[in-house]
Amino acid sequence: MPRAKPDLGLIPAAPANVRRTQWLLVAVVLAMVALAVFFLLTMNLPSWSRVQTGLERNALPLLRGFVNPEWGVFELASRAMLETLFMAVIGTAIGGLLAFPMAFLAANNLLGSRLLAFPGKTFLVGVRTFPEILFAIIFVAAMGPGPVAGILAMGINSIGFLGKIFSDVVEGIDPGPSEAIRAAGGNDLHVFFYSVVPQVLPEFASYLLYRFEINLRAASILGLVGAGGIGAPLIQRLQFRRWDEISMIMIVIVVVIIVVDTLSSSVRRRLV
Amino acid sequence: MAVPDPVTDSATPLRPTYAVRLLNWSTWAVIAALFVVSVRQTGFSLDGISRGAVDFVRFFGRLAPDWTALPQIWAPLIETLQIAYLATIFGTLLGLPIIFLASRNTTVNGPVMWVARSILTVLRSIPDLLYAAILAPILAPGPLPGVVALTIFTMAVLAKLASETVESVDPGPLEAIQAVGAGRNRMIVYGVLPQISATLTSYVLYIFEINVRASVVIGLVGAGGIGNLLNRYLSFFDYGGLGALIIVVFFVVLAIDQLSVWARSRLI
Repeated sequence: MPRAKPDLGLIPAAPANVRRTQWLLVAVVLAMVALAVFFLLTMNLPSWSRVQTGLERNALPLLRGFVNPEWGVFELASRAMLETLFMAVIGTAIGGLLAFPMAFLAANNLLGSRLLAFPGKTFLVGVRTFPEILFAIIFVAAMGPGPVAGILAMGINSIGFLGKIFSDVVEGIDPGPSEAIRAAGGNDLHVFFYSVVPQVLPEFASYLLYRFEINLRAASILGLVGAGGIGAPLIQRLQFRRWDEISMIMIVIVVVIIVVDTLSSSVRRRLV
Repeated sequence: MAVPDPVTDSATPLRPTYAVRLLNWSTWAVIAALFVVSVRQTGFSLDGISRGAVDFVRFFGRLAPDWTALPQIWAPLIETLQIAYLATIFGTLLGLPIIFLASRNTTVNGPVMWVARSILTVLRSIPDLLYAAILAPILAPGPLPGVVALTIFTMAVLAKLASETVESVDPGPLEAIQAVGAGRNRMIVYGVLPQISATLTSYVLYIFEINVRASVVIGLVGAGGIGNLLNRYLSFFDYGGLGALIIVVFFVVLAIDQLSVWARSRLI
């Protein structure tokens, strides 16, 4: 590309208040850090000696466990992680299936007005606001512990996330194909199946995979509240401070999550 | 994707090739098989869902809020927000240098970048609640393990998100600054930071939203905040208190979320 000759007259003068803006920025950051320090000082923190003994008694065995993990729990951890993976698959599938209709019910352009999309959008915001572990607690309390409670919690929470993103995708489609179908005499159903769905499907699939990655992380901790998966054997061992076994379980979690993340993101790159 | 020109590319097949179609169908087959195996292995059934739904609705009926629990809720709620705030600030401060070590165009050298990225990948693969559960017995139950857990999480997520932004900045200003003899640090301060500051602020706000949600529940594993109270209500079957707590948390999280979403929409 040929470069234009520099015309020094065109270089804009530095804005007059640039210094002031910079100082203001520094002041804001300093104020935020000061507030953080104030919170730390007023918080109910343990004494330093308590932290020190805690580190000596627990952190060292944990680190030693990472170097020399207890292979005795490997089989148990793998089986529990497999269950975790299965839970994430079903949770994501439920979320995706239910988010699919929700996405169209919350899309301004498809419903033709903001007012009609408002109830759908509000519902999605409400579902998204709840942390899924709260749903899991409620399900465990209502229907007993086990993977099904965890799956339902994940499924419901995924509706909020996927419904929001799906409806954003639907609102971003190209109106051209829909108009073309209408011009050729197609009705609303034709428009939906031959213009809207083909345009949104690849992105839906990509976000579904992304949500699967999130759900796998969520599923590995749902067991902490009794909702199945690898969190259950983990919390038992945490209570008894079996650090060598905990490190083995953590290694299994980390490896599986990294492998699934890598696979999923490579598929996502090809999709969109 | 190149759009076929109907005049010159009339021979372009509109149907995908057989290899592509085979790949598509086998992908669907793998997903379907995975789903079937998952349903079998977890004992999941539609019957279970319908029963669960009934129990769920019945349970919600019992959650009629008992507003006399309100005075108990405020103090742990404030602690929850403090944990989220502290973790976001400290995580951002700790994460900032790592962002530049993990970006191709600002790193020191290849091995350093690789090490930084690997550490970030491992740190990010551990869920925040798991950090809290492990740190609670180590650092004594209370807000401290919560702050440390979410700080680690913030640092890892911010560094990952922001390093992608750093790698996509306009290289022009960076070259110009290097051409006049500035070192890497000045290049970052005067060339990269001004380009990424709005996006960076938006990421920090986004992570703050995640941290608020996380800090609500980390108390379940003894890491401070309102989760502790939640646990107590649950174990004493105090459903009225639980209902009030859930409603308060819901509206506080909702308000923070909406505020942050609004601020982010102004930024970019």
